[in-house]
Amino acid sequence: MGTSKPTGDTATAIAVLSGATVLGGVALALRQPRAPANDTRASLLPWVERSKAPAVPPLDSKATVRAARRLNRAAGTIAASVLVDSAIEHYRGAFHNEAMVTPLISASLSLLASVHGTADDRRGAHVARDLVYAAAGLTGLVGTGFHIYNISRKPGGFSWQNLFYSAPLGAPAAISLSGMLGFLSERLRNNTTDSRPTILGRPAGRVIGLMTSLGLMGTVGEAGLLHFRGAYHNPAMYLPVTMPPIAAALLGASALGEAGRRKPLTRWWLRFTALLGFVGSGFHIIGVARNMGGWRNWKQNLLDGPPIPAPPSFTGLALAGLAALGLLEDHPDD
Amino acid sequence: MSDPLAAPRAIQGRAPDVFREGGWVEMREFSESEAVDFVVIGTGAGGGPLITRLAEQGFSVVGFDAGPYFRPLEDFASDETAQNQLYWLDERIVDGENPIRMGGNNSGKAVGGSTVHFAMVSLRFRPEWFKSRSLLGYGADWPLDWREMWDYYGKAERALSISGPVTYPWGPKRPRYPYRAHEMNGAAEVLARGAEAMGYKWSPTPLATVSAPRGDSPPCVYRGFCRFGCSTNAKQSQLVAFIPRALAAGAEIRDLAMVGRIETGADGRATGVHYFREGRWRFQRARNVVVAGYAIETPRLLLNSANDRYPDGLANSSGLVGRNLMTQSNQAVYGSMKDEVRWNKGPPSLSITEHWNYDDRKDFFGGYCWMAQGPLPIEWVTVLTGSLGLWGEQLRERMKNYNHQVGVKMVGEMLPNENNRVTLADETDQYGLRIPRITYSWGDNDKALVAHALDKMQTSMELAGVRDTFQQVDDTNHLAGTARMGSDPRSSVVNADCRSWDIPNLWVCDGSIFPTTGGVNPSLTISAIALRTADRIKALADRGEL
Repeated sequence: MGTSKPTGDTATAIAVLSGATVLGGVALALRQPRAPANDTRASLLPWVERSKAPAVPPLDSKATVRAARRLNRAAGTIAASVLVDSAIEHYRGAFHNEAMVTPLISASLSLLASVHGTADDRRGAHVARDLVYAAAGLTGLVGTGFHIYNISRKPGGFSWQNLFYSAPLGAPAAISLSGMLGFLSERLRNNTTDSRPTILGRPAGRVIGLMTSLGLMGTVGEAGLLHFRGAYHNPAMYLPVTMPPIAAALLGASALGEAGRRKPLTRWWLRFTALLGFVGSGFHIIGVARNMGGWRNWKQNLLDGPPIPAPPSFTGLALAGLAALGLLEDHPDD
Repeated sequence: MSDPLAAPRAIQGRAPDVFREGGWVEMREFSESEAVDFVVIGTGAGGGPLITRLAEQGFSVVGFDAGPYFRPLEDFASDETAQNQLYWLDERIVDGENPIRMGGNNSGKAVGGSTVHFAMVSLRFRPEWFKSRSLLGYGADWPLDWREMWDYYGKAERALSISGPVTYPWGPKRPRYPYRAHEMNGAAEVLARGAEAMGYKWSPTPLATVSAPRGDSPPCVYRGFCRFGCSTNAKQSQLVAFIPRALAAGAEIRDLAMVGRIETGADGRATGVHYFREGRWRFQRARNVVVAGYAIETPRLLLNSANDRYPDGLANSSGLVGRNLMTQSNQAVYGSMKDEVRWNKGPPSLSITEHWNYDDRKDFFGGYCWMAQGPLPIEWVTVLTGSLGLWGEQLRERMKNYNHQVGVKMVGEMLPNENNRVTLADETDQYGLRIPRITYSWGDNDKALVAHALDKMQTSMELAGVRDTFQQVDDTNHLAGTARMGSDPRSSVVNADCRSWDIPNLWVCDGSIFPTTGGVNPSLTISAIALRTADRIKALADRGEL
């Protein structure tokens, strides 16, 4: 009997997941950061800035490709999230407009390109991947247009009510983020051997870091809107509107600040944000159970409950942030 | 699975757990021979919060309800007819020029009262209504200050986790509703388009059903059976939101327990209640008695408790017990849309316009709002037969168009009139108690308000593209009055604390105490006043003034 707090299996599940999250966080905090080439000492306390002297690693083309592959992985994570999420949400919308199948195709292709890219350790942009990623970016833009149109048709227009319940304004941007990260990955691969990697003439780490930081903030906006719709009924719902903004700020500061330095706090916070994406899915699984009929009624509650595939978007962006941070740490550009 | 109507469930130290099929929770039990601090008669919008808050403040409390103790998950059928089990359908006599149809619109007989099947519409009064005599020139002033009420409205909204809009377009600023408003259905959108065409503001309606999980309540799944008992517990009825809290705080609930008479002692104070349960009359001693039976059963009990010392009934030195009965006008405009509306999906009143509660440019007193509608098929058939006289083939054809029907229904303020009243008939009911006679006639002002509303609703529906419109001209719903509160013992039954002027340990805490009824659904105001009354009782007790 719980009028304000859940009881029974739900309470147990929330407690177990919360405990597992803390354990996962501890494990991540204790994990040794990947050491730059000239620094084999690793800190067990990542928030302690140990090395004050700027590291000056040799330019390393392998590191550039490694960062590019990490970006492919990040783009793939987001694409997978978008694929499943848009499949569920557009199925819920009965695919009443034929264009609603587009994000499924685009996200599938982006996922395939990302798997291919993650396994590919060659330099140089890949034409097919480039096309797929560009199409993903475009799909997100067009999708946003459709969603804006959907909202504007409703009585009340751009009101809270319609932002809550009409086509979600921010959701299509996720596939654009996948495309953007993949596109940046291909630009990274295009750098010639042994030079400092750049994108559009700017240092690659800074470009990717900034773009990822902005992507994180956009995703925070989407999570914030929908968790506001859910009235933050569980305190854990505040996590995705508090942790990722700090990650975005730290990453943004790193991208604009001095390069070639270890940033243990940023790294630690990005890792936690990556963990948060998966934990979010766990909480959403419990959230589905809290709908009428719980998982026995999965056909309905998967559609009406909190979206299980959505939170790993944060994981994808955090992984991109870690790739950018690796570039920033390894390549002093000033 | 036991039959909740056959025998009491809240016995032997346990009560039903409404959140678990077949589940039980512990319940404290009090002895009949020892006086409890409070007996509360009725467990609805007034009784529920009062029992809970009194128990949470440390008083010993027994709550009585004549109805059964349901577990919604196992007892509620998705069937309009079967769910008549929720209404108070005992024998009554209705008369006057406009006899009130008693039943689902205005009564409940269950633990949780009529909130078990209410439409969950949770609105605040317009502030001026608390002083409608001084400020607006009609009815009577309440002895309450609207700013204090604003506070208690907020408390009631939090306790019931009201799902409401981010900003409410009428009246003074109010805190954000605890939960967000529900998604609007097709019928609610038609109201919105009609309101916009009229230049009125509209809003998603604040509702007592959760839009996200709360405790063991799942979010609403929009079955649309709200007015026939929510079988998922998304609805924050008293049965789900307050009574479990009351049990946890040590209150006892006695279901299937009909209180027939309040006893008074040699000093004129109430000493306890006679009640019928498990086949025989019993007596519970009490230091205080609170009547919370709503506008028919409350005056009936006070009148039926007449004795040598109080020959006109208890708390009736003013002669006003049973008088100033009010209902609310509940007329509607219906029609059809070319596109499917599917108005039965979701709560029935998902959008609202309170425009004419706040716009005083009209030539009658009082205000009204209107809300989107979604009658289920049987109710819709009665509307079609009653208002259009359809029958046979014509009715069948019209019913085939059910998913295209749409409509709006008003909640309008009727003015208090001493001749609209509850008295006792000579006939007796199954308990051997004299049944109520309910006399009601509409006044000229009431008729003017209804005509105005029908005209505006009709225009807005037509502007929204509704075709084949017709009016339902005779419906009424919520009740109020019959034990009004006031600041003068000569012109009221209870004071601002819901305490009777005549008998200091006899209280009334339900819609009966309304001096005026306003143009909004009354349940939230009743609950807010109950929360205030509980605080006042505590304050009085602390000062030794009980």
